[in-house]
Amino acid sequence: MTQETKQLNIWYQSARTTAVVGAVFAGLFTVLLVVNLFGSAVLGPSRETRLAAMQHQAQKDPTNETLLSEVRRLDLKIRQDRLWRLDFAERTAFALLGSVIVLLIAGKIAYDLGKEPPRPQHGTTDRGEMQVREGRQARWAVAGGLAVLAVGMTLLGMMGHVRFAQAQDAEPPFASMQDKQGQWPRFRGPGGAGVSAYANIATSWNGKTGEGILWKTAVPMPGRNSPVVWKDRVFLVGADPNARKVYCFDARSGRLQWTGDVPTVPVEEPLELMEDTGYAACTAATDGRRIYAIFPTGDVAAFDFNGRRLWHKNLGMPDSAYGYAASLETYEKLVIIQYDQGDGSEGKSKVIALDGTNGRVAWETKRDLPNSWSSPVVVEVEGKPQLITVADPNVVAYNPADGKEIWRAECLGGDVAPSPIYAGGLILAIEPYAQLVGIKPTGQGDVSKTHVVWKMEEGGPDICSPVSDGTYVYLLESADLLICCRIEDGHKLYEQKIKGDFRASPSIVGDKLYILDMKGVMRIAQVGPEYKELGKCELGEECFASPAFADGRMYIRGVEHLYCIGKAQ
Amino acid sequence: MNPFVHIAAFLTVLLAAGAETQGEIRFPPPEFETGYQFPETTTPAPQAVWREYLDAGVLVFALLLASHLVFVRRSRRAAFVLMIAALLYFGFVRDGCICPIGAIQNVTLTVFDSSYAIPIAAAVFFVVPLVFTLFCGRVFCGAVCPLGAIQDAVLIHPVTVPRWLESGLRLLAYAYLGAAVLFAATGSAFIICRYDPFVGFFRMGGNWNILLVGVCLLLIGLFIGRPYCRFLCPYGVILRNLSRLSKRRVTITPSECIQCRLCENACPFGAIREPTGDWPEGEYKIAKRRLALFLVLLPILPAGGAWGGYASRGQLARVNPRVRTAERVYLEETGQVEGTTDVSDAFRATGQTTQVLYADATEIRDRFGVGGALLGGFVGLIAGGKLVVLSVRRRRTEYEADPASCLACARCYRACPKEHERIKKNKEAAARHR
Repeated sequence: MTQETKQLNIWYQSARTTAVVGAVFAGLFTVLLVVNLFGSAVLGPSRETRLAAMQHQAQKDPTNETLLSEVRRLDLKIRQDRLWRLDFAERTAFALLGSVIVLLIAGKIAYDLGKEPPRPQHGTTDRGEMQVREGRQARWAVAGGLAVLAVGMTLLGMMGHVRFAQAQDAEPPFASMQDKQGQWPRFRGPGGAGVSAYANIATSWNGKTGEGILWKTAVPMPGRNSPVVWKDRVFLVGADPNARKVYCFDARSGRLQWTGDVPTVPVEEPLELMEDTGYAACTAATDGRRIYAIFPTGDVAAFDFNGRRLWHKNLGMPDSAYGYAASLETYEKLVIIQYDQGDGSEGKSKVIALDGTNGRVAWETKRDLPNSWSSPVVVEVEGKPQLITVADPNVVAYNPADGKEIWRAECLGGDVAPSPIYAGGLILAIEPYAQLVGIKPTGQGDVSKTHVVWKMEEGGPDICSPVSDGTYVYLLESADLLICCRIEDGHKLYEQKIKGDFRASPSIVGDKLYILDMKGVMRIAQVGPEYKELGKCELGEECFASPAFADGRMYIRGVEHLYCIGKAQ
Repeated sequence: MNPFVHIAAFLTVLLAAGAETQGEIRFPPPEFETGYQFPETTTPAPQAVWREYLDAGVLVFALLLASHLVFVRRSRRAAFVLMIAALLYFGFVRDGCICPIGAIQNVTLTVFDSSYAIPIAAAVFFVVPLVFTLFCGRVFCGAVCPLGAIQDAVLIHPVTVPRWLESGLRLLAYAYLGAAVLFAATGSAFIICRYDPFVGFFRMGGNWNILLVGVCLLLIGLFIGRPYCRFLCPYGVILRNLSRLSKRRVTITPSECIQCRLCENACPFGAIREPTGDWPEGEYKIAKRRLALFLVLLPILPAGGAWGGYASRGQLARVNPRVRTAERVYLEETGQVEGTTDVSDAFRATGQTTQVLYADATEIRDRFGVGGALLGGFVGLIAGGKLVVLSVRRRRTEYEADPASCLACARCYRACPKEHERIKKNKEAAARHR
């Protein structure tokens, strides 16, 4: 477009004028913003300094009402001014943006209308030579770019980095297996066996009269998980649909030392669970340094022993028919989670090991098994650790260090809730209502036909886990039946009707069997080939959780209280 | 129109954004005298899943429409309108998140961290433009990407970037892609998102330095078409190479090329390649020797790059916050620095042992050793490959759009007289039908 045509073209003129108007407004708004910015940057700090000085003076002279009211007035003024300026900046910025958009659009139209159209090129260019030249220049440019990157990397490499000299005498990040043996670090104690390391446990108490009760403390939130004990601390977990808590009690006095909050991620639909599992079915676990808890929302958290939350992780809402209920296990610094979900065909189930120090996934092994409610256990077989898990239809052993499968036996069915135990050289696993299976854990790969030593096919508990002294194994059905079998061959020795309903798994203390029913009545029986009841003690409160044992003490969680039973030292 | 007017205009945007950033300054809560209970900190509800599906649907629709407008209707004006609509929706309405460029990191993290579940939208946004590129070239860049759109919208007075400079600068995008993958794979940072130069405009506020970079890019973009897309965009690197395989490509002329050379300067992104001519005598021999040399260099450059990347692991790993914390704590513990920082205080408040912290940092550094070597090797390989490609003779008989560089913006169509002929015929045919 020639100069003359430009002047005649009304669209060009209009676009140019609009662009100028846009530019004028943009300039005006810019000035306003600069003035506003100046006001904030210069006036604000000086007044805030004055306020700080006055506040300092007011702290020294708290009775000076005039000064206090002056402080309040100035504080209010500063806040009002700040908010006004923010509001003004926001409005002006939008106006400025609008002006710039107008300026750009109009400018662009004016440029397009005003530019010369392309004209046919005349003459010829030696394209071959030009391309050779361009190629040469481009190669130099690439080489130059590479050189710049190489120099950058070399400089980075030369800068070096801090080298950490490790302190040799630092405490390891987890307690040893030996240390764990004297404690109750997880659901049903070391190895999930339900066997107390101490025989000096009380055999008589009464919750109503207080006889034999060392202390009794209210637990703020409900939960069916069991106590975990580490030296002078007792840990419990509580939850409802809105909150998840970890509690630490002083083992000597029962005083609630701290409560840890476990957050969750927002979900579209709140989780609804059946009463038998609830929102805190999973028992916590400790590695002697930290306490870990998991909830049916998929939230896992770690706390140190002073109640500081170290990390939190959400594994995703588990797809569990009755609500997630598997308790945690620890191995060295790993927290192990049996995360069985769905019907097994969707590949949702897995065993996860999190690094207890930071919550990162150390390993994760997928499994083609459906949702289960049993807890994993780490046991030592011929000097090597094995992580034992049960779910329909397999008992699977993994290396707890890396999650690699060692062996599996196909021998179970149904909704598996009882946890496995290792006793008498055998892994004992239960198929609810159907059978008890004894497996020799020394195989590799599929051992279904080679290492399943025996099956006792005359029933099995639906909820409670078995317990054994190494010679006999006891099975407690949730209705009213205690079954005793010989470990050697699985032969059933007796079947004893016991009045009551049971959710807590039985325990062995020395040569005694402790059986706690839902009403809080503990029956103490002789371990042996025949049933012989030695005593009966009442707590006076409903109980669903399995008891925990320490030196001379037993901890029982009622629906509302945590009890410590023993003799005062 | 004087381009300096535009520079002045964009400086005002800078100030506007600066004013907005004031909004991020927090001042202490008022000191209430009695019994005031501060409300509990709450976590905002996650984005509803339907929004993710909506975004994915809009993306697919926009890509289909863009393909139709560019290849069937051959309309720059319609493609421009779509581009502005995409800028408004994906940029200003959806705050520039999520975009396929950042989704590279989500995908990488999914591959390297089994505990990370990629959002549906991220997966769709990463994959769908790739699929469209395989069939229709870079229509995503041309008409759907909000980052490209904001640059395209400000392009007023395009100047040609010498081809040699373009070749050199493009290495930056490969290095950026490699670094983004490395930092995402190690769980250290999503640098593409952190240093997104335009997201601050979409959200009307953000980090001052990043906004400044964005403003500079837009100022450059007044004269150099889409500088971020061409020289930095890591997703563009993937699309570039995929579009070489594209089934359908932009053709400047709708019929045959009459060698009028009108389209020579029609592309502001330097994507139009002219017909080739004969090389000067003697050049073939030199070119063969040069090619042999570069082929020998081809394995050496990645090896050198790998060594450089490995040697830089200490510094590269400092991007990881855990490593930075460990270094700071170590310096404090060994008395090499005085005082503490918020980060080191926060670490001590967690009760974790320094032994664990140092072990973590060492493990992360080791991962950066491997990752850094791969990054260096990758950049070396790309540079070597470029040198080889630039030494090979190309043959072209027509003016054509380079499939890798062409952003499918449909600008070049109007420069072709054959296109005008086609439009005229179409209009006449339409008139006859009426």
